[in-house]
Amino acid sequence: MVKLVPNKPQYNISSQYNKYCMIEDRQYLIAAQVERWDLFARLTPTAFLLTSLVLILFDIIDFETAFYVGLVGFATTAVVWWWWAIITIKHLVITLNRASKNLNEVSREIVRATQEIEALKNGS
Amino acid sequence: MDLKRYALIKAATNVISGFSMVTLIILGVAYMSFDNAFVFQDVKIEIVNNPIKKHDDINFTMIGSKKHECASTQVYGIAYSDDGHMHRLDTFTKQYTRNTRPGEPIPNQWSMAVPDDMIAGGEYRVSMTGDFICNYLIFQKEKSQTYDNILLVVDPR
Repeated sequence: MVKLVPNKPQYNISSQYNKYCMIEDRQYLIAAQVERWDLFARLTPTAFLLTSLVLILFDIIDFETAFYVGLVGFATTAVVWWWWAIITIKHLVITLNRASKNLNEVSREIVRATQEIEALKNGS
Repeated sequence: MDLKRYALIKAATNVISGFSMVTLIILGVAYMSFDNAFVFQDVKIEIVNNPIKKHDDINFTMIGSKKHECASTQVYGIAYSDDGHMHRLDTFTKQYTRNTRPGEPIPNQWSMAVPDDMIAGGEYRVSMTGDFICNYLIFQKEKSQTYDNILLVVDPR
């Protein structure tokens, strides 16, 4: 089967890049969760529909039971997905801000380095 | 499994899942609508021969429309007297029309014998209750509907 989530990268935990490793781990986790949500969304409705129909057909449950089980499942999924989305968005915004901040720092460093080179050129 | 086949399977499961979701939502909404609907709408029940003379039966008339296909399984009345006594009316001397068609107001009428324990006569408030089995699409449900406060006046027996 084709895996859309890349293999989990291996890090030296004791290295100075611990913080970045944790960020990478989190991103890996989010990608895996997105794939799981995708699989859940593709399989659950059909599985629930077919299971309910079979159980109703064999008189094991009635329509009311199937309806309330579906309603509870739908509500639970909605609430869990909502909180997952909020937490993930928060994480992505933090990551984006951090990346933006780092880029700004790099940009400032380049400007400073250019100025220093210019000063060196002018001094010589 | 190669990428093309994987993409095809993924697309197919997406379509099937979409159709399943649409089916579930439609069936869910239809079931809620069916579950919450009353058996009769715009319903009116009256006793047309008040006061009931000594050897007469109680003649009921009714008009109302049904939203779904519903067949009655049991129909009875409870007459409440002012002093708190209850009298069960369940002896039909003239039957009502059963399984009236849904969708339009249908007049109906029936007669019931005066219970033996109503010898004192007087004023009563009758509650008519019907138990039904209703069908809609693939759903079936037992329902009950009561029409309260029908005035009954009985002469002493």
